[in-house]
Amino acid sequence: MEMKHKKSEGILNDFLNDFQMSRRSFMKRASAATGGAIALGTSFKPTLRALAEASETGSAAAGEWKAATCQGCTSWCSKQVYVVGGRAVKVRGNPNSKVNGEASCPRVHLALQQVYDPDRIKTPMKRTNPKKGRNEDPKFVPISWDEALGTIADKIMELRNNNETHKYMLMRGRYSYMRDVLYDRMTKIIGSPNNISHSAICAEAEKFGPYYTEAYWGYRQYDVTRARYILLWGADPLAANRQVSYYSAVWGDAIDSATIAIAEPRLSATAAKADEWLPLKPGTDGALAVAIAHVLLTEGLWYKDFVGDFFDGDNRFVAGQYLDETLFEEKHTNGIVKWWNLELKDKTPEWAAKITDLPAEQIKRVAVGYGRAAPHAISWLGGGPCMQARGAYASMAVHALNGIVGAVDNVGGTQQSNKEYTTKFPEPDDFMDEIAKAGKKHKKIDHRGRLEFPALNKKPGGGVVTNNAAEGILNADPNEIKVAIGYMNNFAFSCPQPERWERALAKIPFLVHITTNASEFSWFADILLPDTHHMFEKWGYVKAIGNGYRHVTLMQPIIEPVGDYKIDETEIPWLIAEKLNERGFGNLLDHFKAYKDPETGKSPTNEKEFALYALKYATQNLWDPAKYQGGDKFNGWEDFLKAGVWNSDPYPYRKKWSNMKTKTKKFEFYSETLKDVLEKHAEKHNTTVDNVLEVCNYLARGEMAFVPHYEEPLIAGDAKEYPFIHVDYKSRLNREGRSANCTWYHDFKDLDPGDVPWQDVAKINPADAKPLGIQNGDKVKLTSPTGSLTCTASLWEGVRPGTIAKCYGQGHWAYGRVASKVFGKVPRGGSSNDLIPAQYDRLSGSTAFYATTRIKIEKV
Amino acid sequence: MPKYAMVIDLQRCVGCGACSIACRNENNVPDGIYWSNKITETSGTFPNVRFHYLPTLCNHCSDAPCVTGCPTKAMYKLDNGITMHDPKKCIGCRYCQYNCPYEVIYFNWQEPHKFWRDPKPVIEGGTSSPKEMAQKVNNGNATPYSNPDRAKTLPENRPKGVVEKCTFCDHRLKAGEIPFCVEACPADARVFGDLDKPDSRVNWLLGKYKPYRLKERLGTEPNVYYIRSFNPAHYQRTKGGI
Repeated sequence: MEMKHKKSEGILNDFLNDFQMSRRSFMKRASAATGGAIALGTSFKPTLRALAEASETGSAAAGEWKAATCQGCTSWCSKQVYVVGGRAVKVRGNPNSKVNGEASCPRVHLALQQVYDPDRIKTPMKRTNPKKGRNEDPKFVPISWDEALGTIADKIMELRNNNETHKYMLMRGRYSYMRDVLYDRMTKIIGSPNNISHSAICAEAEKFGPYYTEAYWGYRQYDVTRARYILLWGADPLAANRQVSYYSAVWGDAIDSATIAIAEPRLSATAAKADEWLPLKPGTDGALAVAIAHVLLTEGLWYKDFVGDFFDGDNRFVAGQYLDETLFEEKHTNGIVKWWNLELKDKTPEWAAKITDLPAEQIKRVAVGYGRAAPHAISWLGGGPCMQARGAYASMAVHALNGIVGAVDNVGGTQQSNKEYTTKFPEPDDFMDEIAKAGKKHKKIDHRGRLEFPALNKKPGGGVVTNNAAEGILNADPNEIKVAIGYMNNFAFSCPQPERWERALAKIPFLVHITTNASEFSWFADILLPDTHHMFEKWGYVKAIGNGYRHVTLMQPIIEPVGDYKIDETEIPWLIAEKLNERGFGNLLDHFKAYKDPETGKSPTNEKEFALYALKYATQNLWDPAKYQGGDKFNGWEDFLKAGVWNSDPYPYRKKWSNMKTKTKKFEFYSETLKDVLEKHAEKHNTTVDNVLEVCNYLARGEMAFVPHYEEPLIAGDAKEYPFIHVDYKSRLNREGRSANCTWYHDFKDLDPGDVPWQDVAKINPADAKPLGIQNGDKVKLTSPTGSLTCTASLWEGVRPGTIAKCYGQGHWAYGRVASKVFGKVPRGGSSNDLIPAQYDRLSGSTAFYATTRIKIEKV
Repeated sequence: MPKYAMVIDLQRCVGCGACSIACRNENNVPDGIYWSNKITETSGTFPNVRFHYLPTLCNHCSDAPCVTGCPTKAMYKLDNGITMHDPKKCIGCRYCQYNCPYEVIYFNWQEPHKFWRDPKPVIEGGTSSPKEMAQKVNNGNATPYSNPDRAKTLPENRPKGVVEKCTFCDHRLKAGEIPFCVEACPADARVFGDLDKPDSRVNWLLGKYKPYRLKERLGTEPNVYYIRSFNPAHYQRTKGGI
């Protein structure tokens, strides 16, 4: 009921102020209008008239459902949009998708408020205030595309002419698979190594575990409807990532057939419907995981068809006892006894209970229940346990449980992604001149591959260290950045300790932001370019997995765009290429001309053709019957466009058993694969693996480096001064931090359990709040050693005592009139990232978000 | 004549609120008004604590106090059981709001969608204003994404001074479509149907499970039924003890 919120009192006052009539005029109007309609006040229209005006706005014109794709999170669902006269009116799931079908999570509807957001940039702009800073109004003025692109091209040519192309940087945020045009090809042909993605602030550490066990650097899909036990770790599939629509659709059934347990410091949406909630201390997931592994072995619950068995069938896994490896005949795995000897043998539930603060009896019960359900027992690794400073081994430990119970690549277990047949774009090599080749040889600005940043995405230095790029820029190490383009990213808000990015961006002499809204990052830009909205105005595609399928889902321009937007990944690079060509550097444009329309063989002649041909080129194997390789079959491009999505063949279970890309070809408990890359990295730096681990803040030494094990969390702040551990997580209605300018986001904020509409709350357990004198609704300040924020307190039992839980998503001081309190000046709410230090899981290069810092809370 | 009802399966419901946001979209409901809503409850003490979610909407009561108490018959029953509202007859007295025990009726205290009449841009010349956006996209008709289908049986946007509430998407039913909240629910937790059809899915579910309705003791005879439990968790068997 609307009277609950404080703001309604204002509405009531508004109404009563209109109620300006005397008793006589009241009676006069009452008799004048038949049927009893009464007009109230001079500024209030008589009801009849108001209604007449309302219905004059036109009858229902016929609408059409058009295929689209949602990137509100990385579930990347296929959708349909109801378009009436070029206007997007509503959204639903695309029934043609075998991944999500008709199901839609709640946040897709907010896309309507995003695409018609009045605070969207409608034209290119340039900065007129030469000073850059948090408190410096850029004083943007509108300019033409011609001027904007010309200026950008001039700056790039300046670098080329001075052999400084390595001082060009491209920052990638929200992408589609058209990304390589702008992110890779353009950066290389200009001649820079500095294409920096956002991946490390997403969940790269979540891929570390699956890679160093089964050689899969990617997100998994989970066969929940055929599982008998689902054990989730810091994952909230009913609210946040991944494939929320699908999991929301089937969870009611999964509950019937599976026991659901969730390790999570706060009572999440998924925990609310679980059988067991394991509210462990933040940062102790690794301890819980190895204790569960210990129980699985001592209780004889490992899946013999996958792991193997003792030669004589006698279970010799006894707590505390070292084992002879030769007694065990391993099947599709490598190193189970080695792992037991190195880590697991002493890791009893009682040991883990002390560390996690969970009852030993619960740990044992969950472990036994999980094991008894083998092989249909999923250990679901979310970002929580691993996007931490020492998260890499927790990532391995949690995922390794799937190996023990044989759920890997199995029915009712965890799967990789199905095969799909999109093609890469033409290679850039022939278009890289000597300047470009020389420029590309420089080292990257994010320091990946240095001793202290192994970033082991399949190889040393293989992964990005996004948040550290700020340090590179600040210290001009390895070199300064002179010209930078960022697209659909907002590192000055989305990265921990964002004030570093404020300083770094202020240092870059020429910064371009391709964005829909003027965000915190934009505040430091010299040129803003208005971007299309991915769901309604762009050509592109993305892929997603779920329900045993992979889909490739299309983005298409399906509405009349309001502003002068251009597509980030294709149209803008083409237009820049044209300008570069006019200035004597034609290599980029020549390269883009190779992206021919597969149907006509024609080269693109303008940016609109380029955007379309690039998409047709990349997806040709999916829609061209002559190139068919598998999955859905189409008659041609138009047929594919109409459906909006291609589905793969069903998942081929158990094909990867003893056929993995690991060093041993097996599922590795003792990771020879990790040993190999760690040794390579150590060798590169003339040192030992032990030294690498020490530099990277890890405690393990010797052989422990190659097995999943518990690492004590690295949490900043002294416990006396900062009594609470900060628990960060994603709001259900977050569209990757871009929905805070939607009124519906705030109006429905209490869809996050424990939260309050139109408030940004820090949730604290009532037992903790009482001694501090904090009550519901109090304005509070949260402070960590890194920074502070102001928000509202919400007393809630779903919070683990000793922690304070707060959603990420609010605290914008730019972006728009709703997201901020005063645009460009005062934030609405507070941003978690202001509390979190710039810490890393250096082994994966990931930014640490969880179990990173202690905080204190005070009334203000 | 059909007798429409809804069955909500709490086990399938994941508490996502897609129903409420989709409804807001379909029916052009102003901010602060929730035709589709929820009752949430956190029960227990850490660590024995649970969060429960109950989707709510107008119950389209067979014996509706809002209808009985309306002085102008603006609130009335359709033949198919829907409790409908006619803004042309509404005098904004809000007796219906007072009489409804479920708090599902809302009053338009102001002209709806005030946000979209603001003429100020955040960056002069560089961004639109809400007014400009609404004008460019939809000729100034309330919101840019306003759904014209709603106008079949109600004003597309109700004016200040009248109440509004869920109408079981009567405008969609006319076109042979189920209510939008039912379609939008990803979990298929909402089941719509005709109680007068013996083999309808709603009748089948009402027989299969023991349903309950809100505040049944008041005798309003709601037509929104709830089955199963939001959190059917297992527990370790026990006889308790002294």
